Amino acid sequence: MAATHAQRSTREIFTTLEYGPVPESHACALAWLDTQDRHLGHYVNGKWLKPERRNSVPCRDPITGENLASCPQAQAEDVAAAVEAARTAWENWSGLPGASRAQYLTRLAKMIQKHQRLLWTLESLVTGRAVREVRDRDIPLAQQLLQCHAVQAYTQEETLAGWEPMGVIGLILSPTFSFLEMMWRICPALAVGCTVVVLVPPGSPTPLLLAQLAGELGSFPGILNMINGPASLGPILASQPGVQKVTFCGAVEGGLRLLIQESVWDETMRRLRERMARLRGGRGLDGAVDMGARGAAAHDLAQRYVREAQSQGAQVFQAGDVPSVSPFFPPTLVSDLPPASPCTQAEVPWPVVVASPFRTAKEALAVANGTPRGGSASVWSERPGQALELGYGLRVGTVWINAHGLRHPEVPIGGCKESGSSWHGGPDGLYEYLRPSGTPARLPSLSENLNYDTFGLAVPLTLPSGPEIGPSPAAPYGLFIGGRFQAPGARSSRCIQDSKGNLHAYVAEGGAKDIRGAVEAAHQAAPGWVTRPPGARASLLWALASALERREPALASALERHGVELKTAKVEVELSVRRLRAWGARAQAQGHVLQVAELRGPVLRLREPLGVLAIVCPDEWPLLAFASLLAAALAHGNTVVLVPSGVCPIPALEVCQDMATLLPAGLVNVVTGDRDHLTRCLALHQDVQALWYFGSAQGSQFVEWASAGNLKPVWVNRGHPRAWDQEAQGAGPELGLRAARTKALWLPMGD
Amino acid sequence: MSARNLGTELDLSWISKIQVNQPAVLRRAEQIQARRVVKKEWQAAWLLKAVTFIDLTTLSGDDTSSNVQRLCYKAKYPIREDLLKALNVHDKGLTTAAVCVYPARVCDAVKALKAAGSTIPVASVATGFPAGQTHLKTRLEEIRLAVEDGATEIDVVINRTLVLTGQWEGSDFIKTSTGKETVNATFPVAIVMLRAIRDFFWKTGNKIGFKPAGGIRSAKDSLAWLSLIKEELGDEWLTPELFRIGASTLLSDIERQIYHHVTGRYAAYHDLPMS
Repeated sequence: MAATHAQRSTREIFTTLEYGPVPESHACALAWLDTQDRHLGHYVNGKWLKPERRNSVPCRDPITGENLASCPQAQAEDVAAAVEAARTAWENWSGLPGASRAQYLTRLAKMIQKHQRLLWTLESLVTGRAVREVRDRDIPLAQQLLQCHAVQAYTQEETLAGWEPMGVIGLILSPTFSFLEMMWRICPALAVGCTVVVLVPPGSPTPLLLAQLAGELGSFPGILNMINGPASLGPILASQPGVQKVTFCGAVEGGLRLLIQESVWDETMRRLRERMARLRGGRGLDGAVDMGARGAAAHDLAQRYVREAQSQGAQVFQAGDVPSVSPFFPPTLVSDLPPASPCTQAEVPWPVVVASPFRTAKEALAVANGTPRGGSASVWSERPGQALELGYGLRVGTVWINAHGLRHPEVPIGGCKESGSSWHGGPDGLYEYLRPSGTPARLPSLSENLNYDTFGLAVPLTLPSGPEIGPSPAAPYGLFIGGRFQAPGARSSRCIQDSKGNLHAYVAEGGAKDIRGAVEAAHQAAPGWVTRPPGARASLLWALASALERREPALASALERHGVELKTAKVEVELSVRRLRAWGARAQAQGHVLQVAELRGPVLRLREPLGVLAIVCPDEWPLLAFASLLAAALAHGNTVVLVPSGVCPIPALEVCQDMATLLPAGLVNVVTGDRDHLTRCLALHQDVQALWYFGSAQGSQFVEWASAGNLKPVWVNRGHPRAWDQEAQGAGPELGLRAARTKALWLPMGD
Repeated sequence: MSARNLGTELDLSWISKIQVNQPAVLRRAEQIQARRVVKKEWQAAWLLKAVTFIDLTTLSGDDTSSNVQRLCYKAKYPIREDLLKALNVHDKGLTTAAVCVYPARVCDAVKALKAAGSTIPVASVATGFPAGQTHLKTRLEEIRLAVEDGATEIDVVINRTLVLTGQWEGSDFIKTSTGKETVNATFPVAIVMLRAIRDFFWKTGNKIGFKPAGGIRSAKDSLAWLSLIKEELGDEWLTPELFRIGASTLLSDIERQIYHHVTGRYAAYHDLPMS
């Protein structure tokens, strides 16, 4: 057992040739805690903030349980003070030239370098993680992140023209956060000119140390503030005036699922067991252990899982030189888990690996993609072709081919599905903290009146209302689903009035069932569209553009009936045509290759479609907004369900007639009806993979709330109309960014 | 060397199927060196153990009986007696695993060891060392002569022309290189060789020995090699029958480290006897 090193003599060890303890002294960590008399505070505006009368939470050594220090539990006023400091600092920080921010980040990187031993011993002491992991990977990478983002800041004016920093960023750390994950978020935020308030789970002093190091640089206090408090203070942080974005930082790596092809199952399992038996666990501050411990809670979680799996008939293999007392838990390999058992669905806790066999690569892909998580995956194969195919097919943010766990500041990491849709590192990470210049800032006030249970629940009834003075020929009637016009499930219609209040046309009243059908059709069309080469996508968009051009008189007159001057209507049609062509052209150039130091071989930065994208179009610019959003979505390989303008859906339905003949069935589905109701159906649909909403502030709020169900990425306008006729807002890079997600595919090479 | 590779049917598919993931091997090599450090008593014990794996070697053109004799004496008494006493291992009969010389010096070595009253085996490099580009007939004759002179272990340079054309030979031990190449014993190469040894053992039950040679000069290096064997093949390979380190200057660095461990001081050049 690695922990029970009784005093051994050289003579004994000469015979047994065993490993011994390699204790890393944590005296400096304790000395640092002593500088605060073991009573830490918040770190706000470059100073320690130690308010009176706060509950204090102990910071413990997770292995010995020893009380190392105490941290105050924040109250709302502490959060407000931190946000105020960040807001004041932002005024100055955001206005600085990028070069000055670059200089600051470089100095902070140097500061970390100077105090690295303190950082790594403190982090290992309080988290129980193996010191070699923190020392050899986290701290050097944290420095690289700062340096790399210094470069990004330096070139900001040039490469990010047209974007501005959002403002104050709130960062909520989960109780099992890792220091490094926090750095992936802080660095880009500071680099682009945002300031940060971090909500640190009580008892985690490392972020406080980082803030102190930053504070001691002297200049710009208040750009990085730390508040100790539980995640339940998150809503208070989010509602502070000035907080523009709240991001969440999840856990360090958990357990793993391993899919092994049947033909190599025995051989792989044998090697795996062999290697596991050689792993060493113990106190994190021992320099010769592979794995530390993560506290009693993590131990109990792992134990419960393993016992549950065992009771369901799974095989459990445990090995390695690990102390047999809590909180230490041996590396565990679980196999033969029945497919229907609850453990198969549950998240695998650290340090457990669940192995299951598969027959074909196709099956493996289906299993791997059949989970709600989408963070990262590695593919191990001796056949490069097959490995690449799997790498492209996996719905995750990062794929390593024949490698695992590689990270680099210039390679974006992120995820999809429930692993979240934000990006860190690389240029992708910067946009998380930027907004297009001129877009309004987020107001913190959420409407209290919005009833999530009833928003858009009922559909207003529509009765016949006067003579129909429709266009000639009559506008198409029905919902455009699966490539053809269909009668709505509710078999009722809504009337569309022209600008004079006359009845222009009846359109179909879509409902929940129609949305379901449309989403299904879009899913069916997705595989065909994704695999179509960009060139083919481009030519279809161009064909649609030509069709629109031919339809110009009808479209212009429909717009005219809604009060648009004929000249403006013609411009709108012409711009719509241009948008389709422009996005068609951009379909060609997506993704690129990154070359990363320390790694031979490329990292492919792929831009992949979001999947089934639902778009609720704005009322303004009924044709142009529809065409602009549609074009961007299709060019990036998405299939779409669209709700056209509520007041003027006729032009969109006209275009559907061309799409029926030109596009594959189900690629584009257009559902008319009550916008709030359709928005509700889309937002609550778990199989809609992304949602763009342009409508009211209340609708936006509802969309954000309801989409949390499957954490689909959303884009909402919070009731602010966009200038669709302007290049920046109507066809700018923001649309392209929103229309696809990034995947990093690591291809280490060597023979 | 007692264990013998009794051989097996040559199945070239074993070799043709081998795939090496180079980046992963490099990573593993780095990890073992960083994560398997030993300190204090453990370090001293491991270093002493390392001594027992050394093939104390001299392979110079100007080797004579006098320096071979000195080498043999050092092989018999690798660490100063008072240091061993301080560590309470003076009764372990600590010697190096073998002495290794050119064929022409085998006689000298055997004589010197006999005079010192030692049973340490004499190993000889042979077969046109280090290039191996001589005729099969002379190569075989060279081995025969070395054995006649009293060598009990022969480091054979395989015919690399045959290897590169896919015609392999079998052996009891495999060695990273002659030690005379520009690149010799490196960790990544060793990992690949050790995995091959493990696969062969799993398939046939035969244990093949491993000898890294060339460039292993520091005590720290030798510790890393021991952990590499321990990690990749396990403790059962940590015996002179299955593991050797070919080295000439390594021993003196180990002795210096032991001196430091015992006395707390760094040794002066003249504190330790030369080999």
